[in-house]
Amino acid sequence: MLKIRNICILQRRWKSGKRRWNVLQHKRNNCDRALETFDDFYGSVYGGRWKNMRAALLTEHKYVAMVNNFGDTEQTCSMLELDGAINIKSLIQLAMEREEAGAESNLLLNRHAHYDIDDKLESLLRKQQEREVAAIYPTAADDGHVPPQQLSYDGKKKEDSHTEAQTDSGKEAPSVEFTHSLTKALEQDVQLDESRLVDPQFGTGGLYEYVPASSIKGMEDWVAESKHYKYYQTSTDFPLIIEPEAIFQYPEHLAIYTYEMGNCAEFKPPRQCLTGVLSHFLMDGASVLPPLFLQVQPGERVLDACAAPGGKSLLMLQTLHLDQLVCNDVQESRLNKLRRVMQEYLFDYKQRWAGKRLIFSQSDARNLDEYGSYDKILVDVPCTTDRHVLMHQDNNIFKPTRIKERLRIPELQAGILANCLRLLKPGGSLVYSTCSLSPVQNDGVVHMALQKVFNEHGITARIKDLSQHTALFSDIYRFEQPKGLKYGQMVLPYLPANFGPMYFSKITRNS
Amino acid sequence: MWRRVLFNAQNVQQLKNVNLRQLAAKATAPKLLQLEQVHIDEAVKLEPALAIYTPEIWRRAHETFQNHGLETMSFLRIVTGNPNVLKRTPDRIIHTLEIWRACQFGENLLHLLLTKYPELLDVTDAHQLLTLSAYLKSRLSTNKNVWKVLMNSPDLMAQPENLIEEKLTYMFEVMRIEVPEIVKSSALSLSFEELRCRHTFLVRLGLFKPRPLKADPNEPTTNHRLYQITDTSEKSFVTKICHVTLPEYEAFKDLLARELERKSRKTQVEEEFSDEEV
Repeated sequence: MLKIRNICILQRRWKSGKRRWNVLQHKRNNCDRALETFDDFYGSVYGGRWKNMRAALLTEHKYVAMVNNFGDTEQTCSMLELDGAINIKSLIQLAMEREEAGAESNLLLNRHAHYDIDDKLESLLRKQQEREVAAIYPTAADDGHVPPQQLSYDGKKKEDSHTEAQTDSGKEAPSVEFTHSLTKALEQDVQLDESRLVDPQFGTGGLYEYVPASSIKGMEDWVAESKHYKYYQTSTDFPLIIEPEAIFQYPEHLAIYTYEMGNCAEFKPPRQCLTGVLSHFLMDGASVLPPLFLQVQPGERVLDACAAPGGKSLLMLQTLHLDQLVCNDVQESRLNKLRRVMQEYLFDYKQRWAGKRLIFSQSDARNLDEYGSYDKILVDVPCTTDRHVLMHQDNNIFKPTRIKERLRIPELQAGILANCLRLLKPGGSLVYSTCSLSPVQNDGVVHMALQKVFNEHGITARIKDLSQHTALFSDIYRFEQPKGLKYGQMVLPYLPANFGPMYFSKITRNS
Repeated sequence: MWRRVLFNAQNVQQLKNVNLRQLAAKATAPKLLQLEQVHIDEAVKLEPALAIYTPEIWRRAHETFQNHGLETMSFLRIVTGNPNVLKRTPDRIIHTLEIWRACQFGENLLHLLLTKYPELLDVTDAHQLLTLSAYLKSRLSTNKNVWKVLMNSPDLMAQPENLIEEKLTYMFEVMRIEVPEIVKSSALSLSFEELRCRHTFLVRLGLFKPRPLKADPNEPTTNHRLYQITDTSEKSFVTKICHVTLPEYEAFKDLLARELERKSRKTQVEEEFSDEEV
């Protein structure tokens, strides 16, 4: 039988074929753009370690399996164990025993006053600005014109020392240091660009009509990439307390299975249980940490501010501790996805859960206004989702038309986090998490939000240092060394344990 | 295929005579013309399997090789490497040498090749060898390059043409590596999967960037040379070239294999679907 397709193929052979370089050349897509940006940004932040993360991000990631407590729990557990998976709970138990045996030899926690990440970001910002300036003044080298450079302020390198319990009041506004006396400024600017001086002999009348340019024609819409890095500030003018988290309890009823580091085996797909729900939920391994460290206690009212697709919410429900969980998300479609997941995993969803213990709300997390009413909040904000943007074309934030949205992500994140801090009951705590490696979206946003709530609402909070407890998970995850991060912990993508990236920071509102 | 062979035969490649003469001059300097009992004893010590042959056989074989321009030293190296050669009649040895000569590497280069890999004297099928060499010449452009490739990866003789083609296409089109670099490495000895895995690993680490299609050919690349990538053991490739740890590469191999398998399964399903639609 003659197929239409065969004729097409026959015809194609008569063409000369792809030979020209511009046909052969790979067309640059959103993933390439993302990779390029990351190479530049993370390459300077993480140095030589970036290439390991890069390879891990570009390769398939690893899952963990969360056993559904509303299905045939024992059967599922034994099935997963037969496949060679290990319960995280027992790994934690082992780590705890090991830690106790290792004695309290290294209890002293010396928080370092200076973070080298600050310097790195500063130099990155400078580099980016120089590059942008060079793009606008391309012939700088040719005509001997020196492009405007960043003024170097003497006092800018302020030692940001936030040791424990340091509480400096907001008096120390950074703007004080930037104002120089006029004479000093004139002295510094003695070297004027001679070519731009107007000779008085030609009359100074023209100068009265002179309007200084504020933007370049044709580039009014242009957004400088370096704007993004400016969200990362280092000056602290709000009370900042960092204290180690006292205890960590692994939930009794939670069963999460993983394979040991280096084992890349896959889990079986979930099956239907006798109760009609699915047996286990597969999720990125690093996503289990934020809800675990939130430490939901029995009888608490919890909010998941950006809930979809629902893995973290489901995990909190699986601890069986919750009294009421409010799942919020912006988009209807994402909320529907979340509803579907809950229906698939919760037994008697319609009768026992929907509307009673599990409440859905659709709104922007910045506009929620039940202030002071939640014990715990999980703030898993929208971010550049580093793994997703490198692998998938659709819904990619590195699309050129979304550049403004992308550069303003930290603003959105800080807005959400600041609002969630207000939603907390005094004494309540939240976990802020992103799946990005960018320090701007991680520490930078925490910093911005804390500053914002202090300035606008007078709310103070303390950061919980989780590094002691993350050590329990070091058999399963590869963590960023605590020196590189100020306010939180981060799971790094690492090929034998290809989880993450996942940054999380626990913040408790002061009572 | 026949046309290619004929075409190849007509198109006698003028080898670089200057080079050859230099090599020849070098070779003539310490010449051993006589096969002595000492040589035989030494050879037997190295390769006990040679002990069964009578001096007459030794002499006969030596004479055959010498008549075809191979010195005593080369002869000794060949028989210790491949004792079965002595078993053969002079006619058969000559026949094999003639087959090799038809590849037109030039006498001296051919002798170097045969001395390095005496197993190559086991060739009996002239057609197969000529087909292979003609094919390699069509991809690598000169006989000298074919010789270089065989010097680096003699196991090409045993590989089917489609596998070689797959690897060469990958190196030319995906890695964008030119012929001179390919013939200097033993990349063709590697299996296609391993070659692809090493290359993909380097690409994902950000250590290998294919040359832009319009790049100036004189401009040196920052990539590692092909021989560094392919002619190293797995451990030294990972630690010296990639500067990562071995467990990471082990995990990567597993993950990549799974990823590719999934991709191929997906395209298969898509093809089935599109067939049904038509």
